[in-house]
Amino acid sequence: MTATMKRLARTFSLVGVVVLFAATPVGAVGETIGTCMFEKIENADLAALKGPANKDALLSFEADLEKCFEAPNPILPEWDEVIWGGAAFAILFAFMWWKGFPAVSRAMQARSDRIAADLGAAEQAKNQANAVLADHQEQLGGAKAQAAQIIEEARAQADLVAADITARANEEVAQMRAKAAADLEAARMQAVSDLRGTVADIAVGAAERVIKSNLDADTQRALVDAYIDEVASTNA
Amino acid sequence: MNLLAVDFPPVNQLFDWPSIWFEGSLFAVNKTVLIYLSSVVVTMVLFVLAGRQNETLVPRGVAHVAESGVNFIEESVVMQTMGPDGKKFMPFLTSMFFFILFANITEVIPFIQFPANSRMATPITLALLVWVIYNVVGVRSQGFFGYLKNSLFPPGVPKFLYLIVTPIELVSTFVVRPFSLAVRLWANMVAGHLLLVTFAVLSATMWAAGGLGFGGALFLSFPMLILMTGFEILVSVLQAFIFTILTAVYIAGSMHAEH
Repeated sequence: MTATMKRLARTFSLVGVVVLFAATPVGAVGETIGTCMFEKIENADLAALKGPANKDALLSFEADLEKCFEAPNPILPEWDEVIWGGAAFAILFAFMWWKGFPAVSRAMQARSDRIAADLGAAEQAKNQANAVLADHQEQLGGAKAQAAQIIEEARAQADLVAADITARANEEVAQMRAKAAADLEAARMQAVSDLRGTVADIAVGAAERVIKSNLDADTQRALVDAYIDEVASTNA
Repeated sequence: MNLLAVDFPPVNQLFDWPSIWFEGSLFAVNKTVLIYLSSVVVTMVLFVLAGRQNETLVPRGVAHVAESGVNFIEESVVMQTMGPDGKKFMPFLTSMFFFILFANITEVIPFIQFPANSRMATPITLALLVWVIYNVVGVRSQGFFGYLKNSLFPPGVPKFLYLIVTPIELVSTFVVRPFSLAVRLWANMVAGHLLLVTFAVLSATMWAAGGLGFGGALFLSFPMLILMTGFEILVSVLQAFIFTILTAVYIAGSMHAEH
């Protein structure tokens, strides 16, 4: 059972109990015929009604008793009720005009004013909040632009640094290449120089050996090749 | 009165209450008078307590009842019939509404169970007061002859119809109105009280009879009594509203000739 259903059930139960309680007793019965007659008989001088001499008094008493059976005309107002009812309403109206109605009107007006003031304050607070929000958004926009500018500058700076590094690296590479080429050329020149000396030595040596032994052509060739191999192995 | 074995009390005994104090004088106090006075006290207490709740944002308890009543009279009675000019009649109309309402609602309050307005005294007193007020308002707003002319010869009606309309308006406005106003309230409360007493007596008699009567009381007459009690609460409020709005309509008609 939901909370709403429970509330409804409680409300209807309460209304039911109230209606049941209100419906149960019956108490709206006023003066009875019996009470009326009893009161008249009790108040009458019954002894004075006896005998034929008191016939008129008896008839009068009977007529008086019969009044107990007469229902008052329900549409004719009773003067005592008119006076009390009129006075009651006059008192109530005087009180309401003087105190009751103005008090409640003031309370309602005060509540209405307070709600209006609260609504005004809420509207003002909302406007202030909107202004702060707009300000923050403006600041945020500026910060974003500034950040973008910083990033752009950083990027440009990085590009510059990268270009510089690249240029320096290229320069270093070029220098290293040049140096390597120079070293290579020097080594080559050294090698050529060394080879030239060695070849001269080989040639001199070979010539010496050729001169020292008169060999046939194949032997001489083999001898020269062997010598060159020897030299090559020693310079390797 | 014995009807079909049901001992129903004579009708006059249901409305004619014996005096409690000052019997026989013009200031005799009976149950009806006590209900009038209690209506005054209850309304006063209600408005005094409601007037103290200045500080609360949402009205609570009795303040809610009083403020709802005032709002209801303003929005549903005054503004609908008289417009803003009628706001000066708010204290009068509010007093009238609550006075009639609390004098009616006693018909379902346990141990009271009698609507004070089922006696003719207050309805006719209030109706005559209304008659005086709307005539005085008419004379003050339109002048004596202007009010008489506009009442007896309503503007906008073809002249030949005045032969019929003028006598009707004369009787209706100056003679019948206060009585119709009073009788409407009085008769409704009499009928409601008779209905409640009828079903209550029937329930009690059938219950006491036992057997089939017991079942009849349990399933027929007593549920009807409960239903009629709820219905009479509605009638009490409705009759207070009708009396008040008709008062407003009559006053509005006197304030403005076009009504």
